[in-house]
Formats: sequence, C-alpha cells, structure tokens
Amino acid sequence: MASTLEHYVNMVQTMSSTGNFTQLCDFINKSSDMLAKNASHLDNVYATLDIQQTSLGILGILCVKYSLPNIPDLETTLIQTTEFLAKCNGEHVRYATDNYAELCHKFAQALVERKMYARGIAPLVQAIQKIQIHPAQLTSIHSSLCQLCLLTKNMKPALLFLDIDVTEISREGGHFDAKDYLLYYYYGGMIYTALKNYDRALYCFEIVITTPSVAVSHIMMEAYKKFTLVSLILHGKIISLPKYTPQVLQRYIKPLCQPYMDLSAVYTQNNLADLRITVSKHTDVFNRDSNMGLVKQCMTSLIKKNIQRLTKTFLTLSLADMANRVQLTSPKEAEKYVLHMIEDGEIFATINQKDGMVRFHDNPENYNSPNMLLELDKEMQRCIQLDEKLREMDREIAINPQYVQKSSGTHEDDLPGTSTGPGKIQAY
Amino acid sequence: MAAVVGSTVDYGLLGVDLERQELEFGATPSPPTVYSQLLAIYLLQNDLCNAKFLWKRIPYSVKQSTSELSTIWQVAQKMWIKDYSAIYEALRKEWSEEVKSIMAAVEESVRTRALRLVRLAYSSINADEFATFVGMPAERAIQAAIEEGWEVDQNTRIIIPKRLEPPPAPPIMNEQHLSVLTQYVTFMEN
Repeated sequence: MASTLEHYVNMVQTMSSTGNFTQLCDFINKSSDMLAKNASHLDNVYATLDIQQTSLGILGILCVKYSLPNIPDLETTLIQTTEFLAKCNGEHVRYATDNYAELCHKFAQALVERKMYARGIAPLVQAIQKIQIHPAQLTSIHSSLCQLCLLTKNMKPALLFLDIDVTEISREGGHFDAKDYLLYYYYGGMIYTALKNYDRALYCFEIVITTPSVAVSHIMMEAYKKFTLVSLILHGKIISLPKYTPQVLQRYIKPLCQPYMDLSAVYTQNNLADLRITVSKHTDVFNRDSNMGLVKQCMTSLIKKNIQRLTKTFLTLSLADMANRVQLTSPKEAEKYVLHMIEDGEIFATINQKDGMVRFHDNPENYNSPNMLLELDKEMQRCIQLDEKLREMDREIAINPQYVQKSSGTHEDDLPGTSTGPGKIQAY
Repeated sequence: MAAVVGSTVDYGLLGVDLERQELEFGATPSPPTVYSQLLAIYLLQNDLCNAKFLWKRIPYSVKQSTSELSTIWQVAQKMWIKDYSAIYEALRKEWSEEVKSIMAAVEESVRTRALRLVRLAYSSINADEFATFVGMPAERAIQAAIEEGWEVDQNTRIIIPKRLEPPPAPPIMNEQHLSVLTQYVTFMEN
C-alpha cells in the first residue's frame, strides 16, 4: 500500500479514536484527490478500516469511488455502500452530512442507471433513519428514496416518511438544494396519487407550486399539471392557492399548461360530452405528459359530480331518468355508479329495485354522537400540537442571531434616534 | 418461514413481514410464495392499489413459473371493477397450501363487505341480484336473508334488507373528559 494511503489510514484511526471529527472531515475532504489517484488500492483501505469506529474514513473512500469517471468494479462498490449504510456510526457521519447525502445520491443514481431500483430501497430507508435527528427532519436523501420507490413500483416504504409532516430541513453543510425539496414533494404527490390518497397528493403538489421562486422550474410546472387534475378529481374544481404562491405560477407556468386550463374550464360546465371532446383534442399532450390516466379519472369524477348535483334537486329519481340526465347509457350503469358512490360515502342514498327508484337522503351525521366528539377531540389535539410546534419554531427564529441583527437593523432604520434596543423582538 | 399457514396467523403482521422480506431480496426476485402470500393479503385488506403495484413489479420470470400468481391477480382485477359474480367465480379455485387460508379469508371479507353494502344501499333488492352479491345460488341466498331476519316477498322475489345500525358509541370517561375540556379551554384562551 502506498505510503500516502497509510498516512490516510493512520490519520483516520487516530482522529476517530480521539473524537476529533471536525478536523477529520477537513482532512478527508482535502485527501480526495490523493485517494482518487490511488483508486486501485481503495478496496484495501476499505478492508483495513473498521466501519463502526472509522465511519468517516470509509465514507470518504466510498465518495471518491463514486466520483471516479468509470466506477471500478461497481458490484463491489454497491455492496460496500449497502454494508456501510447499514453499519456506519450515526454519531460520526453526522459530522459530514453533505458527503453522506452525496454518497446516497450517487448510490441511487448508479442503481437507476443500471435499472436495479429495488436494491436501493432498504439501504436508503436505513440511511435516512440513521442520519435524521428526529423523524420530522427532511434530508435530501428522501427524494432519492421516493424516486426509487416510484421506479420499482413499491410505494409503501416511502410512506414511512411521507406520512410525517416535515418541520425541519437538514442543512447538509449548505448543500441541500431546492431541487431535492421540490422533487421530494413532487414524487411524494405522485406516490399518493398512485395509491389514490388524493387529499395528501394535492397537499404535496401544492407545496411544490407554492415554493417561493422567481424562475420557472420544470418540476413546478409538471406538479402544477398534476395539481390541476387531482384537484378536479377530488374537489371538482381547481382549488384556490394561498396568497404566498409565487408570481411565476400565474405569469409563466399557467400559459404553458394551456390544455390543462382548457380541461378545467370545460369541466366546470358539467357537460360530459364537451369534456370528452376537449380530452380527445388534447390527447397527444396528455399522453406525452403521462397524465392520461388522471384525465380519464377526471371524466369519471365528473359523472359522479353530476350525480351529486342531482341530490340537491331531487328527493327521489328513477334510475332511467338519472342515466338520461348524467349521459349514461343505461339505468343499470347509473345503478352501478350510485352503488359505488354509496360504498365510498360520496352520496347518501338508497336504491329501490322494486320500482327502479333512487331515494336521496341528507347526511345522516347530526354532529351529536360520541363518535363525532371523539373525532373533534382528535382534531383539537392535532391543532394544539401544531400550535406548540409553531410557537417553538417562532421562538427559534426570534433568537436566531442573524434574524435579530437584521430585524433590529431595519427597526433602527425605520425610527432613527431610538437605538435603545430591538423593540420588535421584545414582543416575543 | 415460520408463519405460513394456520388460522391463528395475524395476516396484518405477516403482510408487514413479507414486505420486509421482499425489500431484503432487493433486485433479485423473492421466492414465489412471498409474492403470492403478499398479493393475497393485500386482497384481504382490500388494498387494491398496492396489490396492483405488487403485480406490476413481480418479475416476468416468476409470473411465468408460478401460475397461481395470475390466478390470484384475476381475483384482484374483478375486485377492482367490483364485479361480484366474477369475484366469487375467480375465488372458486384450488388454492395451494400457502395461500389457501388467506384466500378463504378473502372470500369471507368480500361477502361481509357486500352484505354491508346491500344493507346500506338498497331499500329493496331483487333476489337474483342479491345472490350475485353474496355469491350463492338464489334459493340459498333467500334462505340466508331470512336467517338474517330480512323481509322476503316470495311472490315477487324482492328482499327488503334490514337497515344498518350505527356502530355502538365508545364510552367516554367522565373525569378524563373533564380534564381534556379544561385543557382545551386553557388552549383557546391563550
């Protein structure tokens, strides 16, 4: 083994054992050129070092291996990475979250290029759980995991993370990119859509398109298309976006999504035949965007919406009449829709087969049952927790030195002469 | 595999365990029983989305060598379109030991759900239609309806299902409730 490599091993071992991690990270980052030059011996170094005790040293080696133009002996590298992610010392690698995240990305990327998606899921789940400080922390690795889950069509592992609302983003040494954030929620939206959890999907897409931005991002644009469709399926209209939605959405993205705007405009007129015409007019676009499946579901949702509208006008209606009004082919088909909607709790009705009539009811929930109280209880608890979390985050910002400096600075600018202190802050 | 058959197996736990096994196999195909049992359990949980994606990700070679997988998938397809008579027909197969008990439970759960739906959605239903919902011959279905205490008009063959009763209310601890309320009031006042 070359002497420089021996030096590397020695330094890593000494500094790891003395707990000098910050310095060690510096040393490892500076050594990357040297390691790259000695690429052929890296496996020896890997074998010499202990994964638990010198995690950072191994991390350095693996990062270099992935950055080589042609990853030598990829299979070994992948196995090494999997082993590393399973066994490395979480305390140590937290000193190099940027390299750690980079390793995970490159690992995922290598698997994607070779179409071995499924291999990455278990290691990345472990990797995220190891590096997170608490479960609500978002890392850039999340987006890679979601990508692999989508590619391998195994959505459940991602739900482990998606179901938790994020309250903090890991800074990863300033390397956390907006792209990872957007992709995580875009992929997340797609995963929820695939599992027909439209409520959550809409929430994810909304996060993507309301991210502060001054330039058009393709991720945002695609998210907006899917947002439109999911919103139509779930609410029968495009839900209004919050005030902080960036200007670019209105100004640049919407004009680029004209077919989707057409679709939603026609949808609101509640005419199934017109909707079919619009869809067939833009079929190419929808197919190219791989959104045809969602568009078809929009059509089904319009039929359901029209049936729902009938409940507002009629108390009883014959199935034949309903089929006619909603433009369905037969009373039998109408019965099927009504049945499915009753099953999913979308309308309250009973079918009377004796005379072929449907009787619509009011919502049987009177909001006076103990069950409803329990439900209310749960919601209250969630609100209280959210409020606590918000206060906590607000406090953190309030004592952030940068924020204090800035806000007291503007305060002084606003009111020259009263430089006695950060008056604004005292409110906290 | 420890948990293969037996009526005492908790299918929910078995499902979680199978999901974990599949992930551990990574890019190499898992043993066919992992797929077939997991697929059957998704059906039992009426989790058709995950069943669909599982079917899509099962490698082609495994589907080829294990024909039972596509037999289970046929049940899933019929469940997806909610074609009850076809579901029962697809379920009426000779299942292998690994999935036999799960598939029996699937049939049971489909029937329970169908029965509930009939009570919820129909104020009167034709006996033949009712028979397709529960997957029985019409005469037996009528018999079953009478046993449930439903009204049956033998001349017109119309069944009037009993309405669904609301689920029993969970008891509320009075003292605990009071303290929770106090907590809310303090929260609101702040």
